[in-house]
Amino acid sequence: MDYGLRRQDFYTGLILCVVSLGIVAECWRMPRDLQGWPAYASPGVVTGLLGLGLFGMGLALTLRSVRRSGAALAITRTDVWAYLADVGTRRLGLMLGISVVYCLLLGRTLPYWLTTGGYLLAVMFVFRAGPWWQILLISAGSTAAVAYVFNRVFAIPLP
Amino acid sequence: MVLGPWHILVELWNLLTPLTLIYVTASTFIGIVIGMLPGLTATMGVALLTGLTFGFPPKDAIIILICVYVGAIYGGSRSAILLNIPGTPANAATCLDGFPMAQRGEAGPAIGLATTSSFLGTVFGLFCLAFFTPLLGKIALQFQSWEFFWLAIFGIVVCGNLTAPTDPLKGWIAGFVGLLVSQVGQEGIAAYPRFSFGFDQMRGGFALIPVLVGVYGIAEVLGVMRETVVPRVMTQIQKILPRWRDLWQYRRTILRSGIIGVIIGAIPGVGEDVAAWVSYDFAKRGSKKPDEFGKGSREGLIAAETGNNACIGGAVIPVLSLAVPGSAPAAVLLGAMWLHGVRPGPLLMIEFPNYIWEVTAMFILASLAMLILGLSLVRTLVKILMVPRPILMPIVLVLCVIGSFAISVRVFDIWVMLAFGLLGYPMRKYNYPAAPLVLGVILGDMADVNFRRALIRTAGDPTPFFTRPISLILVAVTLITILARSAWFRQVLAAGSARLKAAFSRP
Repeated sequence: MDYGLRRQDFYTGLILCVVSLGIVAECWRMPRDLQGWPAYASPGVVTGLLGLGLFGMGLALTLRSVRRSGAALAITRTDVWAYLADVGTRRLGLMLGISVVYCLLLGRTLPYWLTTGGYLLAVMFVFRAGPWWQILLISAGSTAAVAYVFNRVFAIPLP
Repeated sequence: MVLGPWHILVELWNLLTPLTLIYVTASTFIGIVIGMLPGLTATMGVALLTGLTFGFPPKDAIIILICVYVGAIYGGSRSAILLNIPGTPANAATCLDGFPMAQRGEAGPAIGLATTSSFLGTVFGLFCLAFFTPLLGKIALQFQSWEFFWLAIFGIVVCGNLTAPTDPLKGWIAGFVGLLVSQVGQEGIAAYPRFSFGFDQMRGGFALIPVLVGVYGIAEVLGVMRETVVPRVMTQIQKILPRWRDLWQYRRTILRSGIIGVIIGAIPGVGEDVAAWVSYDFAKRGSKKPDEFGKGSREGLIAAETGNNACIGGAVIPVLSLAVPGSAPAAVLLGAMWLHGVRPGPLLMIEFPNYIWEVTAMFILASLAMLILGLSLVRTLVKILMVPRPILMPIVLVLCVIGSFAISVRVFDIWVMLAFGLLGYPMRKYNYPAAPLVLGVILGDMADVNFRRALIRTAGDPTPFFTRPISLILVAVTLITILARSAWFRQVLAAGSARLKAAFSRP
């Protein structure tokens, strides 16, 4: 039987190995006589051990995916295009893009109602949640309700 | 212990104020809605409400979270029965028999049975909570640094093992990533800022709620928005109240599933989904009509729903006695208790002796509200299921943002939430469970501080880690859990048992 996530596991394993080695290296650089504590109580001890553990597991994941049969490990241009052409990928990209922009705009000069209202409007419009007047009503109503309930009723600060 | 029921009654009486009852009703309703909407989980609901109720008095905030937890685990059965889509992972087993019942026109009785089974499961779980937490608390008082370190490792290993049953390596990787995430920021002995890279915001580390909301909430939102198919309810709902004959007929299944749910709940990080599956499996094995399972068996439905709701009480037992969560939503509940100044763990019985009874009384109110709302608002709740996802999901993301921001009023936490959402989405897609990661974030500090503290106490001698009785038990169980999943170990065991059989069968 083919190993379904062979390629994904191979690359995840490699990433885990690189990241965990970085963690171990960073732990090695941490002070070993901080405030007079002995070396075995230094801040990097447990973190370094955890990094080594993660390295071992990343290596195991990589080796396992190499040993088993399944999809080819190399990523071709066709694979990339097929992934990008997938409707799900495009939907994901759109949602992610709009959400990232929304989160980056929060807490800056724009008022909360404008960023949130704009975000809801953009998502509902892009994903065709209904007729334009319905989208407009829902996004304006939701923004007003969220801002009023959390900021005024529950006294929670808004970003 | 003898006075336990009396204490529960007193706490229940104290909670019976109009405002508390409004909170209980509203939050259980919110929990049911969160649970029934595919894509929104109990963990996400509890995490979201933790942020949103941050400014509330501790008692009100905790009762709201408990009601959301109980409501969400139950609410998932609605979409499982009506759409064949589990509202939360805990209701996956409910689909097997709930949906076939709905297909043959028995959606109402299926909902009624799911509601009463969930109620009975929760009640069973909360009585176990009230009885066993003080007992476990007494044992936990003997735990010291060595045991706490091994408890953290044991929790990660068991949780990874059970939440990724087909590939435990991925569960353990998720757990270790969680442990490493918790290492960011000032550590607990000398306040050295680890992995802060000169950023002031990173010195405080990653707060639990943004991480949780990201891994569960944002990942869910992205996952749901990626899908193009929108589910539709195709069945009519008539009679809802269950027949008592059915409940009495399956009393053994209810009791068995309740016990299984509580035991699985008490195992760190495992959670309601595993409890439902194991209860279902045991019910099928013990049934007189196993052939009906998967084709609309009432017994199967009862087992799954009793098991997952009994797990709630079980999952809170280690939260209160050991400060180790039994499930992912319980992990958030633990974080919320910390946020509100309650320190669960071995000293809870000394510092807050009545807290266990108070939590039990809160669970009683939550389960009663769940029963009443579950049986009375069936048609209203079905309408909510029809809300289009492109309307619902961006609103959920807006609430996630507020929940993450409200804890410390830092925009940095919104970015943390988003970053963990970006991590959580591929994790989910490639079968890495989120629960061990969450457990790792919770237990990481405990593992780090106790390991180093233990070495300081013995001047660097690590032998007590392996020689103290409770430590030794934890080490042995952890090793067995890891080895039991290796093919080599299973072959050695099989060969050994074959040899033993051969030796005993010789004349």
